Amino acid sequence: MDWIRWTAPAVAVAATAAPAYAVQYLSVADAQKKAFPSATRFVDSGDGHAWKAQAGDKLLGLFVVDRVIGKHLYIDYAVALAPGGQVSRVEILEYRESYGGDVRSPSWLAQFVGKSNSSNLKIGADIRNISGATLSSLHVTEGVKRILAAYGSRVR
Amino acid sequence: MAHACVSVRRARPLLGTFDEISVCGDDQSRIDRALDAAFDTVAKVHGLMSFHQADSDVGRLNREAATRPVSVHPWTFQVLQTALALHDRTAGLFDITIAPVLQDRGLLPRSRSDRGPGPRRIAMAETVALLADRRIRVRGGTTIDLGGIAKGFAVDRAADALKSHDIACGLVNAGGDLFAFGKHSHSVHIRDPRDPRRCLCRVDVAEEAMASTGIGFDPLRSVRTSGSAIIDPRSLQPVDRIIGATVRAASCMIADALTKIVMIDPTGASLLLDHHNASAMMVLADGEARVTPNWKGAASLAA
Repeated sequence: MDWIRWTAPAVAVAATAAPAYAVQYLSVADAQKKAFPSATRFVDSGDGHAWKAQAGDKLLGLFVVDRVIGKHLYIDYAVALAPGGQVSRVEILEYRESYGGDVRSPSWLAQFVGKSNSSNLKIGADIRNISGATLSSLHVTEGVKRILAAYGSRVR
Repeated sequence: MAHACVSVRRARPLLGTFDEISVCGDDQSRIDRALDAAFDTVAKVHGLMSFHQADSDVGRLNREAATRPVSVHPWTFQVLQTALALHDRTAGLFDITIAPVLQDRGLLPRSRSDRGPGPRRIAMAETVALLADRRIRVRGGTTIDLGGIAKGFAVDRAADALKSHDIACGLVNAGGDLFAFGKHSHSVHIRDPRDPRRCLCRVDVAEEAMASTGIGFDPLRSVRTSGSAIIDPRSLQPVDRIIGATVRAASCMIADALTKIVMIDPTGASLLLDHHNASAMMVLADGEARVTPNWKGAASLAA
């Protein structure tokens, strides 16, 4: 089996510039329910991004939402902490990605403003799945460690 | 009551990247259970085969298997078996003991006890021995890294987990190594290794796996691409003639491993691709793209 030269069709070249896209996976409320299905209420701990998951008065754990920068844009994620203070779940809530200069343009960023939970945030036309150089999740991993340090003792 | 088919997408940070799973089905609670099982499976493979975690099978092998046989999980054993078979078939080009060279180049963390002289090269078949009862022995000074194959294996197992929860259609995508099953095809864009802002092409994948490898690109560090993470065992130098490879095969573990072999030796890889009924696309340093004749998609034969 020999290799043969491949030339992208002209139409494909025009259509594949700037794979900037964003995906909303879960709203905060949905992620809370999935992390603590038996919770009857989520009590805001006061700083706006941490909630105590409770079944009646019983503490089930802590649900924390945070944001880190990915390659160029923010990634929103949620961490569920069990009563022992250990991480029980990390879930990406919203993922935005872009390479290159278009990110700095206000008009490009404006696409994200005012999107509700149900809005379709897909930006890059029909780009849904990308195969290629692997994107590192290191910043999320570091964020989870920070959350553990800041909140781990609150559920113990 | 009519059963509406819902499509659900979730992502979690696993395997050092973003692991995304999309499924469709008509029962939300079944979908939730299947997604949890699939992500748990990926986390389990990560826990077994991570180079960075001291308590993983790989961590234990690297610490203890030179002094006594180390028993590993059946999955780790299976991946090691496949890696050794590929090593044999490629006359040593696929090499899971190349880690010391990666460490020298700062691509893997160096453990405290591992400050010896530069890497020695010995044939892997002589350094890693698979024994009865899933026990492994390695020769002293050997470091195993399953990074070139374990991610694909994790994707395969996650797809199995979804199927065992009666999910008929889904896509598992761990940072570009993916597996699609079910009646729907999934549109996948392949990133241009010369310029990650662009996509090289779009292909439709259905009932198959696809994996891609490219030279490391870190826009935070340099406008230019940084060095390749694929080391040619013959020269111990990073591959620079090929800057990206994508392989489509029946299993993501095989596709993942074959991308590395294509990067190192495209001519020799073509027989192996044939053997696995796999197709491939590669991009040369000058930007020229080449495909195998069985590549499905918009191929142009301007040879």
